[in-house]
Amino acid sequence: MFLKAQLPWNVILSPESLEKGGLMLQRSIIIRLLDDFAVKKATKDLGYYLAVTTLERIGEGKVRQHTGDVLFPVVFSALTFKICKGEILQGVVHKVLKHGVFLRCGPVESLYLSNVKMPDYRYVPGENPYFLNDKMSKIGKDVVVRVVVIGTKWLEAQREFQALVSLEGDYLGPVSSEI
Amino acid sequence: MSKNEDEDASELKFGEDFEKAKCLMNCEVALLLEHKLEQFKQMSGDSNNHTPQVFEKSLQYVKRFSRFSNQDAVKQVREVLSRYQLAEYELAVLGNLCPETVEEAISVIPTLKAKGRLDADAIEKLLNDLLMIKKFE
Repeated sequence: MFLKAQLPWNVILSPESLEKGGLMLQRSIIIRLLDDFAVKKATKDLGYYLAVTTLERIGEGKVRQHTGDVLFPVVFSALTFKICKGEILQGVVHKVLKHGVFLRCGPVESLYLSNVKMPDYRYVPGENPYFLNDKMSKIGKDVVVRVVVIGTKWLEAQREFQALVSLEGDYLGPVSSEI
Repeated sequence: MSKNEDEDASELKFGEDFEKAKCLMNCEVALLLEHKLEQFKQMSGDSNNHTPQVFEKSLQYVKRFSRFSNQDAVKQVREVLSRYQLAEYELAVLGNLCPETVEEAISVIPTLKAKGRLDADAIEKLLNDLLMIKKFE
């Protein structure tokens, strides 16, 4: 699910950037914010950080004692992406293994659909393996599948999410045609 | 971890940060990210700066999974859906999946069928409204 949220942030500028004053200062703050934002990648609470949408306000700068840098408290709105348990979404299969498939959805590459959670589907081996059910419905590479999220995991070190998904439920499964 | 263990979209139970956020439909995100990409291209010109991977993958995804592509249609969808008593999350899922029947809508958004919520006629009307916007896009 894509979210738009308001975030507080501290932008730290070195004394050199302050000499410019006025509009240049605001520009420096914005550029610094965008750089810091791009590096952040994701957090557990709001998910993947995609873009800064609006700058709400820039507070008074405070000089930091030991370094001489100046800290500007900033509030801005950002677009993020997060996957929640219970959510229904569409993913694209990018890897087929004997025990399940991996789907990607937005920035998340690791949505795992175990074949235990694919009722009535069986694995068909070969150069391009896939899963097939009695109604000849196929789940293979590049197929779009509508799934329900049954669990999520936040990996602190890599700063990314993984999710476990399932086909157990009505109106879930491969989506036949693109709209 | 405990905060996330209580999360369950099918019951509209979200973490604190999620509650304060607005949910956007894929089509709305597509317009936003396209605009950002234009801004980025203008600012970086010939330099080798690329947008972050996370941005690229998200843009690809929303372009592919947007039900509406015209800016006015997207605005209309948000307006029309806002007239119904829907939670942020429910509105976004409806706009993303565009269920074809009332049964499908209730199946993908279980909270819709709770007592006191929209009845079948209201949901049917909602789905038809979406269909109309799509037709005239």
